[in-house]
Amino acid sequence: MIMRTYFVAGVAALAFALSSAAQAQVQGGSVSVVVTPEPPMLMQALNQNGPTNMIAGNIYESLLRFNERLEPQPSLAQSWEVSEDGTVYTFKLQENVTWHDGKPFSADDVVFSLDVFLREVHPRWRPIVNNQVKSIEKVDNNTVRLTLKQPFGPLLLAMETASAPIVPKHIYEGTAYASNPMNNTPIGTGPFKFKEWNRGSYVHLVKNEDYWMDGRPYLDEIYWRFIPDAAARAVAYETGEVDVLSGGAVDIFDVPRLSQLENSCVTSKGWEMFAPHAWITINHRNGILGNQQFRQGLMHAIDREFGRDVVWNGFGQLPTGPISSKTRFYDAEVVTYDYDPEKARELIKASGYTGEPLEFLALPYGETWTRWAETIRQNFADVGVNLQIVTTDVPGWTQRTSEWNFDMTFNFLYQLGDPAIGVARSYISSNIIKGSPFANVGGYSNEKADQLFAEAAIVPKEEERQALYTQVQKLLAEDLPVLWLLEMDYPTIHRCNVKNLVTTAIGINDGFRDAWKE
Amino acid sequence: MDLLRFVLMRLGKGVIVLFAIAVLNFFLVRAAPGDPAQVMAGEAGAGDEVFLDQLRQQFGLDRPLYEQLWAYLSNYATLDLGFSYRQQQPVLDLILERLPATLLLTGAAFFISLVLGVVLGALAARRVGRWSDSAITTLALVFYATPLFWIALMSQIVFSLKLGWLPNVGFETVGGGYTGIDRALDIIQHLIMPALTLGLFFTAIYARMMRASMLEVAGADFVKTAYAKGLSPAVITRRHIARNAILPVVTLAGLQAGQLVGGAILTETVFAWPGIGRLMFEALAQRDYSVLLGVFFISSAMVVIFNLVTDIIYRIVDPRIGASA
Amino acid sequence: MNAFTRFASNRGAIVGLGLLLLLVAVVLLAPLLYPQSPWRMVGRPMGAPLAGSFLLGTDTLGRDVAAGIVHGARVSLLIGVVSTVVALLIGVPLGAVAGYFGGLIDDLVMRFTEFFQTIPSFALAIVVVAILQPTLLSIVLAIAIVSWPPVTRLIRGEFLSLRSREYVQAAITVGQSTPRIIFTQILPNTLAPIIVMASLMVATAILLESSLSFLGLGDPNLMTWGYMVGAGRSRIIDAWWISFFPGVAIFLTVLALNLVGEGINDALNPRLRKEDRK
Repeated sequence: MIMRTYFVAGVAALAFALSSAAQAQVQGGSVSVVVTPEPPMLMQALNQNGPTNMIAGNIYESLLRFNERLEPQPSLAQSWEVSEDGTVYTFKLQENVTWHDGKPFSADDVVFSLDVFLREVHPRWRPIVNNQVKSIEKVDNNTVRLTLKQPFGPLLLAMETASAPIVPKHIYEGTAYASNPMNNTPIGTGPFKFKEWNRGSYVHLVKNEDYWMDGRPYLDEIYWRFIPDAAARAVAYETGEVDVLSGGAVDIFDVPRLSQLENSCVTSKGWEMFAPHAWITINHRNGILGNQQFRQGLMHAIDREFGRDVVWNGFGQLPTGPISSKTRFYDAEVVTYDYDPEKARELIKASGYTGEPLEFLALPYGETWTRWAETIRQNFADVGVNLQIVTTDVPGWTQRTSEWNFDMTFNFLYQLGDPAIGVARSYISSNIIKGSPFANVGGYSNEKADQLFAEAAIVPKEEERQALYTQVQKLLAEDLPVLWLLEMDYPTIHRCNVKNLVTTAIGINDGFRDAWKE
Repeated sequence: MDLLRFVLMRLGKGVIVLFAIAVLNFFLVRAAPGDPAQVMAGEAGAGDEVFLDQLRQQFGLDRPLYEQLWAYLSNYATLDLGFSYRQQQPVLDLILERLPATLLLTGAAFFISLVLGVVLGALAARRVGRWSDSAITTLALVFYATPLFWIALMSQIVFSLKLGWLPNVGFETVGGGYTGIDRALDIIQHLIMPALTLGLFFTAIYARMMRASMLEVAGADFVKTAYAKGLSPAVITRRHIARNAILPVVTLAGLQAGQLVGGAILTETVFAWPGIGRLMFEALAQRDYSVLLGVFFISSAMVVIFNLVTDIIYRIVDPRIGASA
Repeated sequence: MNAFTRFASNRGAIVGLGLLLLLVAVVLLAPLLYPQSPWRMVGRPMGAPLAGSFLLGTDTLGRDVAAGIVHGARVSLLIGVVSTVVALLIGVPLGAVAGYFGGLIDDLVMRFTEFFQTIPSFALAIVVVAILQPTLLSIVLAIAIVSWPPVTRLIRGEFLSLRSREYVQAAITVGQSTPRIIFTQILPNTLAPIIVMASLMVATAILLESSLSFLGLGDPNLMTWGYMVGAGRSRIIDAWWISFFPGVAIFLTVLALNLVGEGINDALNPRLRKEDRK
């Protein structure tokens, strides 16, 4: 069998990084990062909360990491090979890796994590391992082989730390995972070790002196601070109390002001893996909302540019369809919808809408979302659509969305690098299941789209996948299963002397390995 | 031994009230839409049915409601506040970790408000109708009528950002490594703004009350007698009027002290103060039932205790009051 | 001097009354002053006061702050007044019954009241709104639920002392029915403290609504002052007017209610003033 070897550029980059480390980077220093809200726990495999990933991504590692073009880079796997038919993946692991408790790391840990632990507990890894994977085996102490049932394009992307963190077998094997007391003192292989969690205040991570990558990390310690009020977070940054504001930590309108301060830098990078895509979810079961013409009318009624420029302070791009322009397989050649109240009125009239009130379930994620809902209510009122905003808190929103009890609501979903993982789930009819707000909660069902998505996930060639995804984008842009509003930017603000902070597609979620302080 | 009987009786009543509250809370909390499993699925950005089932089973939510209620009550009977599966910590530990910060904040705020309130109220009463009376009354009202979260942010902007005098968030300097006296001073620095913000609100209430109380006592017979005896007005105000007028203020303050513990939610939120008010609000937002119930219980218990202490003090100070009061 | 003239000679009380009348006028004239919805985006976002055609400037979305204040007056006052009325409807009968009958009934009522006073009130309000979802109704209800216990205590106290008065005892001896005694003999005499307390409760309710609104538990379809302060507060550095003016509106209203309440109190308790004037 001929193997295609991906002995990628990553290794060269690594060598380069190592050689330049000796000259420029400064060792030592402490960085304070604001992350919000406070996570419930730091055991990354058991909790997929955003803040958990942000902190624990520096404690745990997965086999691969990804650069901002979403190309795989070595992490715990130093190299990997994929068989010609795309079904056998062989990972060669780093040598001399130890867990934070000093125990050696080996292929056994990887097999245990991927085949046993994550299969049982991880909502994102479970469907992949159950549906796509035939076997995961240890070849030798430093080699793991994963065999698929059929080719699955996005497999490597699923090896990112939030989806497939490697956990220590010696701690978890044979225990009740969720109640293992070691969950409170997480043990990983990453560049930083857990030191202390002062609940309500901060998490303290310290340098892993025995990290497998020589010379890393540079920093001595990281404090992850929890400050519940957005305005207070902004003041804390301005007064120098904290060095880094992670994406979403301050209200978006504060970003320009804070980034103009002395020694303050801002970057929108580091979210390529997630590429949050915001839209209005439409409940297709509810009367007029199932009408394509009506939805097209609504789309013309929304002043999306105003939303971006005023509500989101100019951050983000207007999307054209289900796939973000920041990720792979995007195609811009689709039907587009300008802000055109006149046309909107015509379409809405033609659809047979008789003025019945519609409910908009607000997303309780802070002021900006509330303001956005208010502008959309106004846009709709201008074309004669009567929208009532309903608010609730996060659990209420989750419940009503998961149980299809809404007319319209905001949502924003991570694209997770590949349409098969992050996009298809919102539109395919096999995912019309109650219980999760990230299923196809609107009940949109289109056989053609189902077929295209299904095929695109498993055809082996990139070009074939592109062709299928292009078709799907054209189809959905016409049909509008949801109303796409914004490809969101989550700017990270930091002191300019914190260098090399955002180097991967998940930004500071694993960025502190390479970061240093001048 | 009369006092002892009184205390025991009151404690007995307190336990009954707490029990009833525990039951009410249980149903209140369950009446809210959504459950912790759903919340966690939402946060995870994913969640198949297996995931939800696993969580519900772990949280014990798959059992019938009466069983859950029974388990909860029998735990509470042994002073076991349960376990937060979300945070993988015993509830009591989570609360005890946060309680000192809350007690410090509310204690300081209580002290500030009582002292300032009594002094300002007495001053206003002595100068009733004059401009200083109006000034004090109005100032008190400004603090009372301005939303606390607005004052909190404003003070951060002025004292942290513009003047750079005080830290704007947290309990102490993170990574400061202070010990002993230095640590105490550091904590005090962090405490000043939140304690004042919270305290000034109550200052307004006590000042008003003290003023009214002083005016009322000033008309009592024994004060007239004192005047008749030829005592100087200053002495009368200090010894006779203020001393008697302060009693109802202290009583009200005692009643509110307990409420303060659970009522500092806004202050703790804006100043990132790691207390139980915030813990409660976050637990509500996450439907972390056991934590929410635990905080409710502990803060209600605080109210019972503070009320009792107030009553005991009252009885000691003023023995005329019978046990039934 | 009767109570009315005493009230009229109290400068603070008159100012307060004037403010309240002005407020009522604003509420009534709102549709004339600003016929458009206060939610409508009418100008450049974050326009400074007086800079454009907007007296008090515009907010983050370009909505007229002045229009918000005028329309917000109605809802804020509505919430304040209605929740106070509801609290009185719960608190007064309970207090009356407890104070009049005493004994076991008194004990039961007081335990019940204590029960509600023991649960931290702000926390209870938050939970109630979270359960029922934020709407005008649930907010009013939550505020009422946490504000009735002091009313009960007050009324009970009044009834306890009034019941032993001669004219009440006389009515009992004459054989008047209990409801008649309560409604015609005792209740009218408790009106003064009720009015004083109610004026403060309205103020507290407006403040409570703003706190709920700040925590994201306001009704999103109603423009209230609390909403405006909460929504504008984080922009205080670059656009102070968005939260400042509604804040002033709240302050003036609370001030007015307090002044009037105090004025009524002083007018009905003339002894206090006289004694001090020595």
